[in-house]
Amino acid sequence: MSETTQAAKPAPVLGRLAENSQIVLLGLLVLLCIGISLGSPQFYSVENIIAILRQCSLVLIVAAGMTMLLIAAEVDLSVGASLAFSGVVAMDVTNKTGSVALGVLAGILFGGAVGLFNGLVVTRLRVNSLIATIATMMILQGSVFLYSREAVQNKHQQVAFTEISTGYVGPVPIPVIIAAVVFVAAFIVLRYTTIGRYIYAVGANQKAARLSGIRPERLKLLVFVVTGLLTGLAGLILTSLMNAGQPTAGRGFELTVIAAVILGGTSLLGGRGTLIGTLLGVLVLKVIDNGIIILRWDQNLQMVVPGVVIIVATYLDLIRSRANAR
Amino acid sequence: MPQSPSLSAAAGPKRPTELLRALFRRNETVLLVCLVALIVFFSFASGTFLTTRNITNVLGQASLAMIAGIGIGVVVLAGEIDVSIGSLVGAVGIPLVVVMNQTGSLELGMAAALLLALGVGVANGYLAAYLGINSLIVTLGTMFVIRGGIYLYTGQRAISDDLQLESFYQMGNGRLLGTVPYPALVALVLLVAFVYLMRHRPFGRQIYAVGGNPEVARLAGYNVKRLKFAAFVICSLLAGISGILLSSRLGSAVHVAGLGFEFQVVAAVVLGGVSLAGGVGSLLGVALGVLILAFLSNGLGMLNIATEWQLVITGLIIIAAVAFDELKRRRQ
Repeated sequence: MSETTQAAKPAPVLGRLAENSQIVLLGLLVLLCIGISLGSPQFYSVENIIAILRQCSLVLIVAAGMTMLLIAAEVDLSVGASLAFSGVVAMDVTNKTGSVALGVLAGILFGGAVGLFNGLVVTRLRVNSLIATIATMMILQGSVFLYSREAVQNKHQQVAFTEISTGYVGPVPIPVIIAAVVFVAAFIVLRYTTIGRYIYAVGANQKAARLSGIRPERLKLLVFVVTGLLTGLAGLILTSLMNAGQPTAGRGFELTVIAAVILGGTSLLGGRGTLIGTLLGVLVLKVIDNGIIILRWDQNLQMVVPGVVIIVATYLDLIRSRANAR
Repeated sequence: MPQSPSLSAAAGPKRPTELLRALFRRNETVLLVCLVALIVFFSFASGTFLTTRNITNVLGQASLAMIAGIGIGVVVLAGEIDVSIGSLVGAVGIPLVVVMNQTGSLELGMAAALLLALGVGVANGYLAAYLGINSLIVTLGTMFVIRGGIYLYTGQRAISDDLQLESFYQMGNGRLLGTVPYPALVALVLLVAFVYLMRHRPFGRQIYAVGGNPEVARLAGYNVKRLKFAAFVICSLLAGISGILLSSRLGSAVHVAGLGFEFQVVAAVVLGGVSLAGGVGSLLGVALGVLILAFLSNGLGMLNIATEWQLVITGLIIIAAVAFDELKRRRQ
């Protein structure tokens, strides 16, 4: 993490700033790991680390898209509902066609279609994305039950379908590999391509971006679609993990994802944020989750602790940026 | 809401045609027309819709969202947002029922519930207004903390009301003269009070100023932080009242009560023409937004349309309404 991720300005001061923000999180992560392993040595067992990574993968896949959306100054609250629906679609198509490949494709494309809908509503109809995606969330939560009243089971017990989440390549679970690929791709796009630069520019100042020849609407539409596709992918993995498409899955998932992204230092106002930060945010939240379980604390703390962590981390970030501004 | 036209007329110009045009340029008039059209449509479509019993039922159901909506309206007008109200609405039932069970007093229970709401409002307000943390993050955080707190305390079980006080039951379920539900009365009183406060008192005007442009408001000598803080406290207290009425209706403190409530209320507030950017909109609009969604859901239910379809239709209407509003704003 020696590189800066601030848009367009390679000034060393800004570079150190971005670095600092992640160092706070990294420090927090290290402290958490030390603290938990003191309480329970099994924290460092291979099984546990793989379990943590596996849990991170689902959130990270969607969070990669959400990071880009927040940087572009938009948000998507429908990802939880879309996650469930794409899973149901993937399972159903797999059952009906007997082909896992078609099911996978249908699930991912369904997520992409939801993203396209969100993007069109936000960029063409100019509806604020917070409201637009709350509405999409309602629409999806309603229509998923119209599509299927109960969980869609893996009727033909397709092993290939369950393999998506339970399979391994060497010692690494497949979802972790998928998440890593998504993460690296998003990282490269955001940092090293013009599109990535444009996303920062549009989020930081849409008017200025438009005046310099960028088309903000198209770019935002693209980011909504990408987030949708990634949500479809995550929904697919979740469904494979449960070996059934659950219409009620994913409730509150959008909040976990947004919490992780914000924790990673991405600004809600747009124009500022990094994927490395998001990765650390996801890791911190999931290590906390895991710690609460292996230390045998009350599992309901899994809601309380992240809530406090988000507020404190944002506040620390605020103090730091104010101190730097002086 | 019959007071909408008279209030807007008072603010508009004097000649009749101009007055009419000015009336229709107002967001509240459009919403009122939509609401009336909705009611007329459902009265024809369903024989049981336009009965005193059903209309008062809807008003009773809408009042919880209305009370919380007034609070969200104030916060959003001040240029902030509060998504913790769903958790808070669920949480206040716990001190209410627990204190009531232990002391046998409804008043003490309500005091404890409002004290919790006050505490949450102070926390949200302090973190967002004084420490300057983005209010969506703050209230997302408190939303998690409060809901987690509920689960921790209750072990994910409902706490039953052992006392079974008649006055507690009546609060949420009783009707004045056998017709008007008490929650609807509470909502109406609060609505009138807050419409007056926001339109005609310096505090209300200052909230609009702060939400419209905090920098200008600060230069004009308003205490921006204190005003925003006050907005959060008001919002939480109103959510607290809404939560008290909800637990009376449920007859216990239910740990999942209020899940997703914040989204419903924010949607109604935006439907009512309040801009998320702050400073634009009115509480009458909020009330109409809440009523439209309530009558819509009830009417669709009357037509035996599944609740799932209701969600879908509501979502589509929210998008259409906000898109229409945005189009109108750009034309002007």
